[in-house]
Amino acid sequence: MWQELHAELEPKGTTVVTVALDLDPEKARPFIEAASPTHPSLIDRHHHLDRSLGIVNVPMAVWIDETGTLVRPAEAASIKVSAMRSMEIPEDTPDRVKALLTEARKIPGRPEEYRAAIVDWANKGADSAFALSPEEVIERSQGRPIEHSEAAASFELGCHLYETAGKDAAIPLWKRAHELHRENWTYKRQAWTLETTAEGEPSDLFQEVGDVYGTSWLDDVVALGGGENYAIVPDLD
Amino acid sequence: MLLTDATIDPATFAAETGWESKPEGLCKGDVCVPAPEALAVDGQLDAAAVAAKLGMAIVRDEASGVAVLGPESGGRALTSATVPDLNLEDVDGNPFDLASLHGRKVLLVAWASW
Repeated sequence: MWQELHAELEPKGTTVVTVALDLDPEKARPFIEAASPTHPSLIDRHHHLDRSLGIVNVPMAVWIDETGTLVRPAEAASIKVSAMRSMEIPEDTPDRVKALLTEARKIPGRPEEYRAAIVDWANKGADSAFALSPEEVIERSQGRPIEHSEAAASFELGCHLYETAGKDAAIPLWKRAHELHRENWTYKRQAWTLETTAEGEPSDLFQEVGDVYGTSWLDDVVALGGGENYAIVPDLD
Repeated sequence: MLLTDATIDPATFAAETGWESKPEGLCKGDVCVPAPEALAVDGQLDAAAVAAKLGMAIVRDEASGVAVLGPESGGRALTSATVPDLNLEDVDGNPFDLASLHGRKVLLVAWASW
């Protein structure tokens, strides 16, 4: 998906750079190898992008101009309509899965318009109506209270301890990060995905509330106001 | 950023956080915060004073003695629209400096395997 966009934009002077927020690069490898990217494809083991650019979920993107200046802050970056959006939910679907799919379908997004906006910017640069001034970029970035700074420090320290002392040392710090910055899904999903359910479900999204964190994707989405609040949707009007 | 001492080397601090130590104070983009108390005697920065001045949380692991300094707070997630230094590796460990793409537009996309 991103490779296709990169191939289209590369002759227009625009490069796509993908960054996987993955503690273990080997988890990202199969996806990278399947995509065969000709663009830079990087790994951010300790979620540096959360601290430096305000990333709180995936996929999210920032736009950077030729001088290294942001022209759009961190915002949801879907460029394809999710198949989940139009999927019928069969009657016999288990209740929890049904509830999860219902919330997932509420996640807002205008992928076709967002893709068109990227192409417009690639063509017109600073003259694109979608390229924002530095002041607008800062203003549109999310607020950062001291609790979010503590969450970021806790998450980063947890990552360091995970690699030097093991997962048990990391868990209390990651829990603290989850509590302090509830809207940051990269802290939560990164940690959840290291736990396995009794059923061995492959995705953390479908996990029940676990013993380790006492939280789950579905319960947290509902607690934060439902799928409609899940993504920081780009304002393209 | 990881803290290994009560003081921080200014060059490391700038590379990690984007905040540069200048005569007028600690500066990031157009924002400068006067912070005479942050300058330690040996040209190093006093970590606790910097943290207090910029709203950076310090979280410490007592067992290992390791501490981490969080990002600045009290405003927006972005203090400046200038992209900070970003040096990351690819999946095979080869380093990549985002600054090498200066002169081109960049769409930087965060994703994950999970």
